[in-house]
Amino acid sequence: MKIMTKNTLIGISVLTLVACKKDHPTPEVDTLQKDVIVSLASNVNTYAYNQLASSSNDLYSAIVSFCATPTSEGLTNCQDLWKTTRSIWEQTEGFLYGPVSSDNIDPRIDTWPVDYNALENVLSSSMAFGETEINALDDALKGFHPIEYLLFGQDGAKTFDQFTVREKEYLVALSLNIKTLTAELASKWDVNTNEDYYTYFTAPSTSNPYYQTEKAVYLEIANAMVGICDEVGNGKMSEPFVAQDPSLEESPFSKNSITDFMNNMRSVQNVYLGKFSTDNKGLDDLVKKYNLSLDQTINTKINAAISSLNNISGTFSTAIIDEPVQVQNAIDAIISLQECLETELLPFIQTYVK
Amino acid sequence: MIRFLFFIFVISTILFSCKKPGVIEEYNEQDWMAGGTQTVFEQGSGAYRQTFPTLSGELLATHGTGDAMFEATFVSAPAPKNSGLGPIYNAVSCATCHINDGRGMAPIDGGSSASLFLKLSSSGQDIHGAPNELPGFGVQLQTKAIFGTQAEGDLIVTYEYETGYFEDGTSYELRRPTFTINNPYTSMGSYLFSPRFSRPVFGLGLLEAIPEWAIIANEDNLDVNQDGISGKANYVWDIKNQKTSLGRFGWKAGVPSILQQVAAAYSQDIGMTNFLFPKETSFTQSQYDNLSDENELSDSLLYATAMYIRTLAVPARRNVQDPEVIKGKQLFNSASCIKCHTPKHTTGVNVAFADLSNQTIFPYTDMLLHDMGPNLTDNRPEYLAFESEWRTPPLWGIGLSVAVNNHSFFLHDGRARNLSEAILWHGGEAILARENYRKMSASDRAALLKFLNSL
Repeated sequence: MKIMTKNTLIGISVLTLVACKKDHPTPEVDTLQKDVIVSLASNVNTYAYNQLASSSNDLYSAIVSFCATPTSEGLTNCQDLWKTTRSIWEQTEGFLYGPVSSDNIDPRIDTWPVDYNALENVLSSSMAFGETEINALDDALKGFHPIEYLLFGQDGAKTFDQFTVREKEYLVALSLNIKTLTAELASKWDVNTNEDYYTYFTAPSTSNPYYQTEKAVYLEIANAMVGICDEVGNGKMSEPFVAQDPSLEESPFSKNSITDFMNNMRSVQNVYLGKFSTDNKGLDDLVKKYNLSLDQTINTKINAAISSLNNISGTFSTAIIDEPVQVQNAIDAIISLQECLETELLPFIQTYVK
Repeated sequence: MIRFLFFIFVISTILFSCKKPGVIEEYNEQDWMAGGTQTVFEQGSGAYRQTFPTLSGELLATHGTGDAMFEATFVSAPAPKNSGLGPIYNAVSCATCHINDGRGMAPIDGGSSASLFLKLSSSGQDIHGAPNELPGFGVQLQTKAIFGTQAEGDLIVTYEYETGYFEDGTSYELRRPTFTINNPYTSMGSYLFSPRFSRPVFGLGLLEAIPEWAIIANEDNLDVNQDGISGKANYVWDIKNQKTSLGRFGWKAGVPSILQQVAAAYSQDIGMTNFLFPKETSFTQSQYDNLSDENELSDSLLYATAMYIRTLAVPARRNVQDPEVIKGKQLFNSASCIKCHTPKHTTGVNVAFADLSNQTIFPYTDMLLHDMGPNLTDNRPEYLAFESEWRTPPLWGIGLSVAVNNHSFFLHDGRARNLSEAILWHGGEAILARENYRKMSASDRAALLKFLNSL
């Protein structure tokens, strides 16, 4: 009897303990998940958009000054600033979500192809170049590429004395437009403005119309990384390469395409590592915590994508004809990164992010 | 024996004591997965543009091609890439009006409307029952034209603001739009028009896969059950199959298939001729370009775009266990919203396209036409749809509208600035549902809206 009672009591105790035990131990209070989001929002997204706005402002000022007094140095300065601004923009394309997409800013500053017929018609017409007129223009007539076309010329060899009055007026108006739009974009991420996206992004909750959970934020971040790899690997690079047609190349006038692609891959790297100018918390900190080998794989693949682009020695329009192996290798490396992010990083987020 | 029973009792008590009391039983777990197997969990701006999770192989590749086409910006001919825009058009790409695969830019009071266009016609119908074309303008007002060509006219929308009251005395404001066509390129004569605001494009493949019999089963043309709600199918001309078919898409269910919807949009909105619409919209008009470059869009790219739309996944519901959401769901039912916004459908069995086959989905539409009363009446019938009749729009994903497009403008002309205004514009067959909402307490209204935002 005593034994039975003792056994029963032991049984009950065990059952009591086991029955209420949850499947997983209660996680320690861990702020890493949130810290990464805050770090990316501050040090990558907001930081990059502020840089973009500032560089666009510099470009606008340089164009105004060049158009007032055209000089060779002035033109070089404008072309350099176009490339600098372009470089920052391409490094934001790894996070094309939020105001840049939902407020339709992306197509207004970076539409390809340019409508050459319409652009020439605009130049030969008497259309005014006020802000209203530029706003009313189709996307293929404003933003980076029409500015590039006007600054560099069709063959990339335009000289400072070749600018017509109309071209100068159009350039000033276009650069003002891009300055205004990038300032608007930066302001939408500015935590000090009303209804700023930064706060929605960093504070998911059931009443947040954008993100109810941190997992949703992570999925948005990772999907954007996948998206840019897809766009570069399957679109921007493959299309002209498969068709062997340089006229399908983006950024042809400045011969800047390879740099564009590289900056797109750097953008993916920036998001993954959480760095733009300085290294802060990034996705890698979370991945490393649970899966060291996945972290290594992603880092290796990002580096492979960047170095394979580095291996292309010519411009993209010549490389698609003269360096098919290097171009194919770069496409393969980028698609391989895309597949890894899609089939390993996204499931990782589904598993480990709450 | 007693000891054994005691043992059983203790074990039962222990096991059941850990079960949480509560509301979870009241919730039908299935409708988390609004798109059945093709449900995704993304929120934020990418919520509407996710691929079917099950898609693979060639279909996935075609989806990718269609995705690029959906984003592609068209330019005036001749051009090495994406040639063929216009000569008259409303938009340069699909994505212009379906930003992030959702809605377009919100209409601005007094401004040119970017993502809203007017369907036009003259009175009467053609042999298939379609509205007659308006001579000189066709079936849609193209507000843009390539350089050197005149647009058909400019569309300006202005609003009058009116105040109404909930039964608890709280006021609300609605804005009633007026549409004005400025600078028509030629005399318009008398015409009928209907404004149309762009809609999200996800989940359409699943809606297309609902069997026709299941949609017709909910028809009640003569209101036999006397609940004040009829529900009527539209029958429209299927160009590809050259026959009259059930209308499924568009604000008045005037289009039978995704393919035809996409082809019509390429033609009417962008000016890209294709095998279903081989003539320029400006044909017989002064803007016609006389170029023999038809079809500007290849069949394969048209099919790829349609395939892309067909295989866009549906966002999962959110906050489904929130007690206020559950209360809102009950109010949605008891206020009769559910009578037209039918939650559940099952897609047909399709062995040739398993991704669409036999899916239990929760689109919250009956796919039928309903009289929505004089306030929402346009003056342009479309096949069997009268001026006051509109297809019940699906509600799935509606709570993500702000996340995707940074606004919450609803209804066929975007007049409602939020969900509450959209409900308050309901009339006709939906007058009872609207009044039920208007009579709710503030907390009940909030719960109903919270439920809608969980969709």
